Amino acid sequence: MRPRSAVWLALGWVGFALLPWFAGSGTQPALAPPAPGPAGSALIDGLTSGRWWLLPVALPLLLALAVTALPGLRARQPAALLAGGAFGLAWVAAQGFAIGLDGWAWGWLGALFGPLPLGQGGFGAGAALTALSFLFLMTNGFAGLGFMKGDRFTAGAIGLVLAAIAAFVFLPVGYVLSGAGDTGTGGFSAGALWARLAAPDVWRLSCLTEAKSCGVVWNSVFLAVMTGIATTLLGLAFALVAVRTGFRAKKLLRVLTVLPIITPPFVISLAVILLFGRNGTVTLAMADWFGIPVSRWIYGLPGVLLTQTLAFTPISFLVMIGVVQGIGPSLEEAAQTLRASRWVTFRTVTWPLMRPGVANAFLISFIESLADFGNPLILGGNYEVLSTKIYFAVVGAQNDPGRAAALGIILLCLCLGAFWVQRQWLGKKSYATVGGKGDNGIPSQLPRGIKIAAYATALPWAAFTFVLYGLILFGGFTENWGRNNSLTLRHYLAAFDLSWGPNGLIWSGRAWGSLFTTIEVAALSAPLTAAVGLLTAYLLVRQSFKGRGAFEFLTMLSFTIPGTVIGISYILAFNQPPIELTGTVTILIVCFVFRNMPVSIRAGVAAMSQIDRSLDECSLTLGAGSVQTIRRVILPLLRPAIVASLVYSFVRAITSISAVIFLVSPKYELATAYIVGRVEQGDFGLAIAYSSALIVLMSVVIALIQFAVGERRIGRRAATPVTLQEKPV
Amino acid sequence: MSIASKAAGVEFRNVSRRYGSTAAVDDVSFSIEAGTLVTLLGPSGCGKTTTLRMIAGLEMASGGTILIGGKDVTRLPATDRNVTMVFQSYALFPHMSVADNVAYGLVVSGVRKRDAAARAAEGLELVGLGGYGQRLPSELSGGQQQRVAVARALVLEPEVLLFDEPLSNLDAKLRRKMRDDIRELQQKLGLTSVYVTHDQEEALAVSDRIIVMNKSVIAQTGTPDELYRRPNSRFVADFIGGANLIDGELVARGGGTATVALGRLTLSVPDPGLPAGGILLAVRPNAIRLRPAGADGGINGGGDGSGDGIPVTVRKATYLGSHMEYGLTSEFGDLFVVDPNVANPVPAGATALATFTGDGIAAVAR
Amino acid sequence: MTSAGSLTKSNWIKSNWIKSAGLGLGALVALAAQPAQAQGTLTVLCGVQEEWCKAIAVAFEKKTGTAVAMSRKSAGEALAQIRAESANPKTDVWWGGPGDPHLQAAEEGLTLAYESPQQADLQPWAQSQYKQSQGRSVGVYAGALGFVYNTELLGKRKIGAPKCWADLLRPEFRDEIQMANPNASGTAYTALATLVQILGEDGAFDYLRKLNDNVNQYTKSGSAPAAAAARSETLVGIVFMHDGINQKINGFPVDVAAPCEGTGYEIGSMSILKGTKNPDAAKAFYEFALSPEGQATGAETKQFQMPSNRKAAIPPEAPKLEAIRMIDYNFQKYGTAEERKRLLSRWDADIKAVAK
Repeated sequence: MRPRSAVWLALGWVGFALLPWFAGSGTQPALAPPAPGPAGSALIDGLTSGRWWLLPVALPLLLALAVTALPGLRARQPAALLAGGAFGLAWVAAQGFAIGLDGWAWGWLGALFGPLPLGQGGFGAGAALTALSFLFLMTNGFAGLGFMKGDRFTAGAIGLVLAAIAAFVFLPVGYVLSGAGDTGTGGFSAGALWARLAAPDVWRLSCLTEAKSCGVVWNSVFLAVMTGIATTLLGLAFALVAVRTGFRAKKLLRVLTVLPIITPPFVISLAVILLFGRNGTVTLAMADWFGIPVSRWIYGLPGVLLTQTLAFTPISFLVMIGVVQGIGPSLEEAAQTLRASRWVTFRTVTWPLMRPGVANAFLISFIESLADFGNPLILGGNYEVLSTKIYFAVVGAQNDPGRAAALGIILLCLCLGAFWVQRQWLGKKSYATVGGKGDNGIPSQLPRGIKIAAYATALPWAAFTFVLYGLILFGGFTENWGRNNSLTLRHYLAAFDLSWGPNGLIWSGRAWGSLFTTIEVAALSAPLTAAVGLLTAYLLVRQSFKGRGAFEFLTMLSFTIPGTVIGISYILAFNQPPIELTGTVTILIVCFVFRNMPVSIRAGVAAMSQIDRSLDECSLTLGAGSVQTIRRVILPLLRPAIVASLVYSFVRAITSISAVIFLVSPKYELATAYIVGRVEQGDFGLAIAYSSALIVLMSVVIALIQFAVGERRIGRRAATPVTLQEKPV
Repeated sequence: MSIASKAAGVEFRNVSRRYGSTAAVDDVSFSIEAGTLVTLLGPSGCGKTTTLRMIAGLEMASGGTILIGGKDVTRLPATDRNVTMVFQSYALFPHMSVADNVAYGLVVSGVRKRDAAARAAEGLELVGLGGYGQRLPSELSGGQQQRVAVARALVLEPEVLLFDEPLSNLDAKLRRKMRDDIRELQQKLGLTSVYVTHDQEEALAVSDRIIVMNKSVIAQTGTPDELYRRPNSRFVADFIGGANLIDGELVARGGGTATVALGRLTLSVPDPGLPAGGILLAVRPNAIRLRPAGADGGINGGGDGSGDGIPVTVRKATYLGSHMEYGLTSEFGDLFVVDPNVANPVPAGATALATFTGDGIAAVAR
Repeated sequence: MTSAGSLTKSNWIKSNWIKSAGLGLGALVALAAQPAQAQGTLTVLCGVQEEWCKAIAVAFEKKTGTAVAMSRKSAGEALAQIRAESANPKTDVWWGGPGDPHLQAAEEGLTLAYESPQQADLQPWAQSQYKQSQGRSVGVYAGALGFVYNTELLGKRKIGAPKCWADLLRPEFRDEIQMANPNASGTAYTALATLVQILGEDGAFDYLRKLNDNVNQYTKSGSAPAAAAARSETLVGIVFMHDGINQKINGFPVDVAAPCEGTGYEIGSMSILKGTKNPDAAKAFYEFALSPEGQATGAETKQFQMPSNRKAAIPPEAPKLEAIRMIDYNFQKYGTAEERKRLLSRWDADIKAVAK
């Protein structure tokens, strides 16, 4: 224990005395003699430049040094480390927030203490290292007092995850939500907040009584309910076909589930317009053949509902297939031996057991629909929903971020409400059906009527999806899709041209820059997301500590916040000291990690709950530490979950748009932001060509990841379908 | 190379484990001598497993002090304690071969791979599984898996070896064999072992000493013999070996025995250290013998026909080969009797005379 | 095993834990230490089409050797980002996009005043943007508001092309007109303000209420009606004329017209951000963007706005501003936040609420 605390203590001193404390001026080599001024360490700068507020950082470091080095004080070490670490962290944070670029960050501090002659920049390497050192000294102290079973790793990991969530979820969200009561002049007023929350265009119900449009909340909720019902029914039909019938092409269904997840935003909407728009292929054909008059029915509720159903059915399928597979066949066999017919068995046993899955699938689609931004943007017509309204409150002609924040609060409440309802509903009833692997009954065939209904729903829909994707791939090769369908490579060349210049290869295509950044960001954020997510899952499943339920809830928070709100909040929070990240690639990675983490956590929790806890306890008693246990026992058994989180976070980093549209900087442009620009310009050809290339790229990466880690699953444990929850774009 | 013992004693001083306001273990103190096998016995929920896990370091005590080998380990995490455990579910790592499972603890402790493999082979040999090293745990039978788990715990030469209901997943015959094997191994290697079970027969069979726990506290500690013959409470008497509990009256004590009046009978029992007055008699099922009524009752001259026994009616008689089991109705309530006399059983419905043998009766507080 | 091999359980693990912690730490420090912004690179938010953004960046780089990092942002996104970054700007120049948000940024003190030596060469409307923003912004191009219509569909239905605002109320255009939602799009706000200036406020809302019967959709993006007209999704769109011409160049059967009653326009503007860390490079870019050479990049990439430098060549495809009856658009009044908010809420209440 002592050596480990000593290492962190030493690193704390290094951060305080040797490394440059501030960011941006980090030209100073780490081990050169520290210079005064902003390039210097906190110690030098504090002594020579008048930034006296940096000096108290030394106090907890001295305290920790004393209790570690003096044998007489050893007994008090844990308590001292705890107190010192906590004080150090608090002081570093407090001075960072209180003193900005030009002195006091908050006016009342200036009024209290008089003006400050100089300010300070954002945290740099020194500050980061010292803060980290304080965090781990604190958690070591905690563990030393016997909390967390005395396990320093667990304590440290919880501390790290909590600190990261506080910094990268709470802080930004707090910034943006506090803006909901902004009066426009920098003040906060409850009246302004109330006026925004209760605005008539949000809540009015005039569509019921007269020919007016309803409030945006009702629109959103109605759309979400419809989408939830449609996707749940389709998902159920697919799951029944996949599990309970002799349907051969189950692999195709698998492909179907992956496609929408790897589809960049807007693409499905574009394809739907080109098929069903007033000038769409299908529309014209129907008019020619059956005389159905052309109309714009696709713009508005029907179009959004259609595209959302296309996009979210696979998720619902993934949820439902797990549930349908999980129903122990012997239960149904038991029912049949009790003289129930197939139909009666289905109605009295199978269906009730599927109900939690149905509820789950419905609620996931419900939340996805609420947060979806791309489809209503393109196809919404005059049907306004919350997610687009928030976006345009920020970027539209109104320029009213306060309104966006207020609408964000409403959207957040709707999502959290749905989560809460789900929890209540699932918490009260027990539908445990899987007794383990030993159920050797044969799943009973579906009743005839249900079977026909399932086929009749699932197969046309699958065919429709495939046609749509075929068209998308094809569209990239047409001169001007829908207008001039002659084949061309023009769009691909424009995007991905290569030429040979005097200095070698020139990436002359227009898409290369954003493509490389996108791949870099995705490749960096995917393993980090998986690591943070699985670590959090490990803490949630394996460690019992006070407030675990709240902790779990907090980790889910960033999932329910619409991307646009997250994007704005990140700029607000991380553009100025103490944490200055805007304009860097770091902010993109951090945003993706914390946005996609909840899915990783869910996958990890699901997989880890299946691994008997005694395995890791046993490893502990055999002398392996938590790190060793995770590496040697848990990770090898978690391969499916690792694959799921890697794939998911990689793919989401490529296809997300709403969260990053404010975060991409000139240097770090992302593929989707670029594609959206092309769509706005009406340059569908390039947009579709680029999207197709991304779809192919992601398929290859998914195949590679599965190939690399997949074989471990063969034989022993059947992979459990991991619930991939698609994020709002 | 051989597997040696580093056996150390364990001591609990006023140890508690609380979850919120409920205590799973409440102010428990005991000590376990090095080289002995001590069983924690009790019904489920009594705190025995929590106690075991506190020895392992898998649970942290909320109060009190835990010493292993005289060293305070109260705040030491499991990893840093030299204690290993055999789990109820065996907890074999499914993705590792048997040999890798057994070598695991050695490898993570930094022993070179080759040495670890050699010692693992030795450990497997010790439990009679030499040559099974390359199999996967799923390819072994339940009993074999159990042995692998024991070998894995042994090769680390722990100061204390813990068993958490190790036999509960095995069938009756295998249980008996495994429990003998474990006891033999423990004695051969001189290990300090703590063994958790809710099966009193298993506890009696393997233990040097037994700690009986009930409702988060220790009910009684002693050798199997002491606990069986001199239970100090109604709970212990009933839990260990089963007992017919009959109201009686303690009338006199002296010379290590006490005299108890039961109806018209007087019985001599070991001194329970209780004041005179109402007590409970715990009568073992095999401490009662049956005589058919009238067979010799009248002859023995007791005019009332009861003499040293009480009249009973046989409600149920079950033939079990080596002995008879009887359910009786008497003035003291229903009695359960095990009688080795299978040659002349008393049929159901008959009346009989129940007599008490000197041994197997104890007085406990009401 | 001899006693020499006695096992202390954690000797090896410690080093492992430190190793892995060290790795994570290294990564964190590397992230934190990354300089927030490379010095010497000019960061530009670009409000026009991406091709043009790229072309002017390359041309400037070629000329000066200063690297340009260019990001295409719609006007609203750009303003939102600049506001959010105001405490510590990361952007040097905001180039292009309608003049209103530039004025708003100037009003909020987010941009710097700068006078270019080329000021005298600029068109009067470009200079008026300069004056209204107190020198904090200048016009780089102008685009007039107009109609885009699908010639194929018009021919098929034998409907005459719309030439005036009043034409849009004709019954044959029922359900055939698209415009953007002024709450979302600066283009549509320009249209709203233009109508208010031509017809008076009540007259304008009266007109819009009647127009509402003919509008099939209020889109979210300003240029979306042009794309819709190009794809025959609608007959007529109210857009900036250069957006319509863009679709025409792309090979769609559309044409544009300027309303006979007069029309408003946007002044595509440029501002230098307050707090820029590269003031010299920013000024160099500013000058380049105003020079005939810099303004020619628009036509080179088929963008047909009117250049603001009188010396710049006017692309032949560009709508002839002389042929367009421009109103004297009062940017001062209709650019302020209160007026904007007032008109938009009235539009929301009077028009949007009764939209289909």
